[in-house]
Amino acid sequence: MNSFEFRQPDTVEEALTLLHDLGEDAKVMAGGTALVIMMKQRLVMPDCLISLQRLRGLDQINARNGELQLGALTTHRAVERSEAVRGRLPSLAETYAHVATIRIRNVATVGGALAHADPNQDPPVILLALDAQVGLRSTAGSRQVPIGEFFTDYYETVRQPDELVTEVVVPMLPPRSGSVYLKFLPRTADDYATVGVAATVTVDPATGTCRESRIAMGCVAATPVRAPEAEALVRGQRLTPELAREAGALAQRVTDPISDARGSADYKRAMAGVFVRRALEQAWQRAMAAV
Amino acid sequence: MGGIRQTTQATTQDFTRAYGRDTIGRFYERVNIESGGIFMTEAPSSDRKGREAMTYNAVGKPIGRVEGPAKVTGAAAYSADIRLPNMIWGKALRSPLPHARIVRIDTSAAERLPGVLAVLTAKDLPDLLIGRRVYDMPVLARDRVRFIGEKVAMVAVEDPDLADEALAHIEVEYDELPAVFDAQEAMKPDAPLLHPQYRLYPHAPAKYFSDLPNVHSHVTWQLGDVAQGFAAAAQVFEHTFTTHYVHQGYIEPHASVVALESDGRAHVWLSNKMPFRTRELLADAVRIPQEQILVHLTPIGGDFGGKGSLMDLPLCYHLARRTGRPVKMVMTYTEELMAGNPRHPTTVVLRTGVTREGIIIAREAKVIFNSGAYAAFKPTPVVNITGASQAAGAYGIPNIRIDAYSVYTNCVPAGHMRAPGDPQVTFAVESAMDMMAEALGIEPLEFRRRNLLRDGDRLPSGHPVEHVKVQETLEAAVHSSRWGESKPRPNVGRGLAVSHRHIGIGDANAQVTVEGDGAVTLLTAAPDTGTGSHTVLRQIVAETLSVPIEQVRVQVATTDAFEADSGAGGSRVTHVAGQATYQAAEELKTLIREVAAQLLGCQPNDVTLSGGRCAVAADSERGLSLADVARAALAHERPLTVQKTYRVAEYPHVTGFTAQAVELEVDPETGQMTLLDVVTAHDVGTIINPLGHQGQIEGGLIQGIGFGMIEEMRAEDGRVSTLSLGDYKLPNIKDIPPLKTVLVQEQLGPVPFQGKSIGESSITPITAAIANALYDAVGVRICDLPITAEKVYRALQAQQGVGEETPGEDRRGR
Amino acid sequence: MTHTIRMRVNGKDYTADVPSQRLLIDCLRYDLGLTGTKEGCSVGVCGACTVMMDGVLVSSCLTLAVLADGKEITTVEGLAQDGKLHPVQQAFIDYGGFQCGICTPGMVVAAKALLDQNQNPSDDDIKDWMMGNLCRCTGYYKIIESIRGAATRMQTERVS
Repeated sequence: MNSFEFRQPDTVEEALTLLHDLGEDAKVMAGGTALVIMMKQRLVMPDCLISLQRLRGLDQINARNGELQLGALTTHRAVERSEAVRGRLPSLAETYAHVATIRIRNVATVGGALAHADPNQDPPVILLALDAQVGLRSTAGSRQVPIGEFFTDYYETVRQPDELVTEVVVPMLPPRSGSVYLKFLPRTADDYATVGVAATVTVDPATGTCRESRIAMGCVAATPVRAPEAEALVRGQRLTPELAREAGALAQRVTDPISDARGSADYKRAMAGVFVRRALEQAWQRAMAAV
Repeated sequence: MGGIRQTTQATTQDFTRAYGRDTIGRFYERVNIESGGIFMTEAPSSDRKGREAMTYNAVGKPIGRVEGPAKVTGAAAYSADIRLPNMIWGKALRSPLPHARIVRIDTSAAERLPGVLAVLTAKDLPDLLIGRRVYDMPVLARDRVRFIGEKVAMVAVEDPDLADEALAHIEVEYDELPAVFDAQEAMKPDAPLLHPQYRLYPHAPAKYFSDLPNVHSHVTWQLGDVAQGFAAAAQVFEHTFTTHYVHQGYIEPHASVVALESDGRAHVWLSNKMPFRTRELLADAVRIPQEQILVHLTPIGGDFGGKGSLMDLPLCYHLARRTGRPVKMVMTYTEELMAGNPRHPTTVVLRTGVTREGIIIAREAKVIFNSGAYAAFKPTPVVNITGASQAAGAYGIPNIRIDAYSVYTNCVPAGHMRAPGDPQVTFAVESAMDMMAEALGIEPLEFRRRNLLRDGDRLPSGHPVEHVKVQETLEAAVHSSRWGESKPRPNVGRGLAVSHRHIGIGDANAQVTVEGDGAVTLLTAAPDTGTGSHTVLRQIVAETLSVPIEQVRVQVATTDAFEADSGAGGSRVTHVAGQATYQAAEELKTLIREVAAQLLGCQPNDVTLSGGRCAVAADSERGLSLADVARAALAHERPLTVQKTYRVAEYPHVTGFTAQAVELEVDPETGQMTLLDVVTAHDVGTIINPLGHQGQIEGGLIQGIGFGMIEEMRAEDGRVSTLSLGDYKLPNIKDIPPLKTVLVQEQLGPVPFQGKSIGESSITPITAAIANALYDAVGVRICDLPITAEKVYRALQAQQGVGEETPGEDRRGR
Repeated sequence: MTHTIRMRVNGKDYTADVPSQRLLIDCLRYDLGLTGTKEGCSVGVCGACTVMMDGVLVSSCLTLAVLADGKEITTVEGLAQDGKLHPVQQAFIDYGGFQCGICTPGMVVAAKALLDQNQNPSDDDIKDWMMGNLCRCTGYYKIIESIRGAATRMQTERVS
C-alpha cells in the first residue's frame, strides 16, 4: 500500500475538525475491512487516514423512546449478540449475523458499512425495511437522513466529505409485527447474497389483515430499494399465497440488477420475486405468532 | 527426543533462520540452517485413536503426522516464511492485454525511484524459452504478450510496500493484435496464430504435431476398429459436454526465494513438489549447471497439481544476480487467479455405439483442451492432458478412438490439477451413461453393470487391467446409499458415477540408516505437499524393521542428497517413494541381521527383529538393541545404511476404482440444490495410514463438489474477473454434505504391503453423480459446468414453458 | 510516517517502528519474526491470517499494525503453554485436522477462540464459527472431528 498520514483523533469533535480541514484528501476508517482491501488494490489512495478507533461513546446500543439507537462504531458482532436488539428486533440481529464471517463482524462497524454503501450488503436491506434513520454530524451541526434517502449510487451516499455517520436509529415495530431478512446464497455459505430481501409486516388482530408492510431488496440495484407498489398491494389484505406471489411480481419491477458472479440480471430479478414472496410469508407468520 | 538436526552436507554459507519458538523447546530449536536441508521433528507418540490395526504393527495405524507439531504450532517454514539477511523483494509487471506486440518499455522512471534496486525486462535476460516439458514461454515477454497477466518486467525493492509503486512507474506501449479465446475458434482456419514457430520449440513433441491451427499437441488412443464397431451398433448417440476454469485453490500462493553465494551457487526455496525437476529446469532457464543449484525442500501449502513449475523462480534468480542480494517473490492471490496454471477448460464430444443388448461396442471421443497462451505448464512428454484417455470410463469398450487436442488461445496458460483431465472427461462419460440408459430404457445401474471393465479388458492406452474390483465397488456404493428406496418427497433425486485411476510411476530415492543411538533415519527427497507422505514412509520403515514408530525419524533432503526423484503427483508417491523406502529398509534389515548374527553367534536367518531389538529366534533372551548393532557396525566401518533407487516406467496393471452415489434435493423455485447424502466407495489394497488415506478421500471429494457446483473462474475475452477468493469461491465448512466412505479392500497392489493409490480418486466421478441425481430429481440435464442454481432454474422454466410436466415428478419411475 | 507501537504478543511485550501502511500480518511475520501466521488470500476471506486481538478474532491481513498499539495479540505461536500443545493443537494431530498445514495456524487460533467461549459447541456451532477459515486439503470433516475431540478432552480435563 502507499504510505499515508495516520491520525487517531480521541474525540468526535477532533475527528470532525480533521475531516473539515482535510476534505477529500482524507479517508475515514472505522473497522477498515472494506477500506484496507480497496487501498491494497490501489482503488483508493488517501493522503491521510483518519481512524475512528479511539472515539468513545459511538459504540453504544441503546433502547430508548421506542427506538433502538446503534452507535456508528458498534461492531456487527455486537449487534448480533446484543440482548437489547435480539429481544426487540430479532431480524436486525439476525441480519447482522449474516454478514461475512466472524472476523469481519468483530471489526466491521454499523456506520462504516453504511458509509461504504455496497448494494450487496445485508444490513442496509433490513434497515430500509425497518425505516431506520442515519445520523450524521459535521463541524457545522448534525442531521438525520432516512435510510431510503441515504444511498444514492454504488458506493455513494449523501454523506458529505466532512461528515461522519454517528448513529443509526431504528424505530421499534408496533405490536403484532413480524420482520425477517432472507439471504439467498445458491452456491456457498460465505458470499454476498444473490438477492437479499427484508420484509416487515404488522397485522391488525381484529381483521387479520395487514395493517402495514415494508419490503426492501438488496443486490438488485445501485442501492437497496423499497417496493412501494408491492407494499401497497398487501396493505389492508389478508396475506394469501397468491397475494404474496403477486407482491413478488410487483417488487420485481423496481429491480435493476447487474449480472455478475452471483447471478445474471434476469435471475436476480426472478429471485427477487421469489424471495419477496417468501419474506412476506415468513414475516406474516412471525407477526401472527407475536403478541 | 525430537529436535532439528543438521545434515551431513558440507557447509557453504550460513543462513540463519528462526525455526521454532522457545516455548516448545522439546520439539524444535533455533537452528542455523547450513546448506543441507530442513529437518522435520519426530512427533511425540500420537497413536491415540486405538483403531483396529490390521496384521501390522505400524502399517494400518492412524498415526498422527510426523510433521504435526511443526504444523499446528506454526513452526513449519513454508517458502514465504524463509527470511534471509539482506533479503529484498521482487514483483512482476503483468500485461493488461491478451494479445499485443510490445512496442516499447521505458523503465527509467521506475529505476529512479528511491528504494528500487533493479528493474529488468526481457532485454536484460538470456534469449530463451522455458517450460515444464516444451519450452515455449519466455521468462519475461520479449516482443509479444499472449495473455492478460503475462509477465513483462520485474522490479526488486527493499520495502515490499514500494513494489506496486515501482511497477506503476514502468511505461509499456502495446500494439494490440487480434486475439482468440475459445479453443474451437482457435482451431479454425482464420484464427490468429499464437505460435507460428511452435514446431521449433525445444522438446516440442513432434509425434503429436497437428496441421490444425493453434493445436500444439494432438494425441490419439485407439483400440479395435471403431468403424466396424459403429456398424454393429443398434443405436448411435452423440453428446457434447463443456467444463470451465477452476484453480487449484491452494491456500498458499506461490513463493520463491533465491540466494546466491559468492561463487554463484544458487540456493533455492520454492513452493514446488518436484525439487529435482526444478533444479533441472532452472538450470536451463538461467543457463547455469545443475550442480550450481541447491533446492531446499520446504513444506508446501497445497499443491493439487499446480505447483510443479518454476513460476517466479527465474525472475528471483535474475534479480538476485543483478542486486547481489537474496530475493523473495510471493504471488498475491490475484496473481494466482490471473496467471496461475488452472485446470484446462474442456470440450468433450462423445459418439457412442450401443448394441441391442445394451453393450457399448464403439466410442469416438474428441477432447479439446484450452491450453491457453503457452503449453509451458504441461509436464507430460506428449504436452497434452492424458486424462483424455478416460473417455472409455470404467468400461470395457472394445472399439475406441480418442483424439485429444491441446489448443493455444489467448487465455491464461492452463496446467495440471488433481487428476488432470479425469473430472472433465468423466463428467462427460458418466453423464452420457445415464442419458443413453434412459434412451435405451435400461436402468442406469444395470446399464453400467453390463459394461464395466473385467479382468483382462484393455484400457484405451492398451494396458490390460487385472484384479478388477469395479463391480464390487459399485455395488458397495449402491448398497450403502438409499438407491432403490422410495423418495421421501418430490424434487429429490439420486445419481451414480464410476471412475478409475492408475497407480503412478516415476523414480524415487530413499536412504535408511540406523544411527549409533538406535534411532532409524529415513532420508527422503519426497516433498511434503500435505498428503502425509512422510508419515507413510515412516510407517513403512517402522513396519519393515520392526521398530516402534517413535524410533524412526524422517529427514527431508535437499537436491544434493540424491540424483533424482520424480517428486509428487500422478498418484505416485506412496507407490514409488514408498517402494524405494521399503526396499531400502528391507535391504537394511538383511544387513542388520548379518551384523547381529555375527555378534550373537548365529546365522542371519535365526535373527528376529522385534520392537527395536534383535534376538536369536530359538533363544530370545539372547539379544541386542539396534543401538548395539549399529555401534558395532560403525566400529567395523560398515555403517548400517542403505540407499535405494526405485524406478518404474510402466503403469501397473492394477488400477483403482471409485464409485459414488449422490442424493440431492432441488428447490424448484430457485434451482438451488442441496446434497442430502453422498457415498464414496473405493477399491483399495492395504492402507498404510487410515487417517491420511481418509483425508485424501474427503479432501478430494469436496474439491470435486467445488468443481461441479461452486467454483468458477470467470473470464471474458481473456480477462479473468474473479480475482480474489471473495469472487472465486472455494468450498466452505458449511457447504459439505453428509458423507459416507466405503472401502472395498483386498490386500493387493504395487504399493508396499500391497496397496494402491488414493490421492486423485474421489475428485473424479462426483460431478457426474450430481448431474445424474439432478436429472433424476427434476428432469434437468446440465451438460456444461458448473452446475448452478441459475442453470437449473432456467431449465425448469423452459420445461414449464414447453410442456405440462410437473417439476419434481419422479419421471424415472424409480 | 513512522509510528512506534507497543503490543503484547503471546504474553511478551514487543516494540516496533512501523510505517502507517504496515499491515499487522507483515508486522508479526517480518518485524517480530513470528512467521506462524500465514497470508493466503489477502482479502480477509480465507482465514489463514487469523489472530486474536484483545480477545476477538481478526484478519491480520486487513488490520493496520498501528491499530495494534496497546493491544494484546495471540498468534498460533502462543497457543502452546510450557512446552505442551494446546488441546486443540493436539486434537488436530490426532484426528487428522490438517494436511498441508497452511490453514492450520488460523484454524487452531479460531478453534481455540470458539472453545474459549463455547465449551460444548454443536456441529452447527462449529460450522458457523469456522466458516471463515478455508481449508483446501481436508474437506473439513476431520477439522470438525478435531474440534469436537478437543472440546471433549477439555471438558474431561476440567472435570478431573
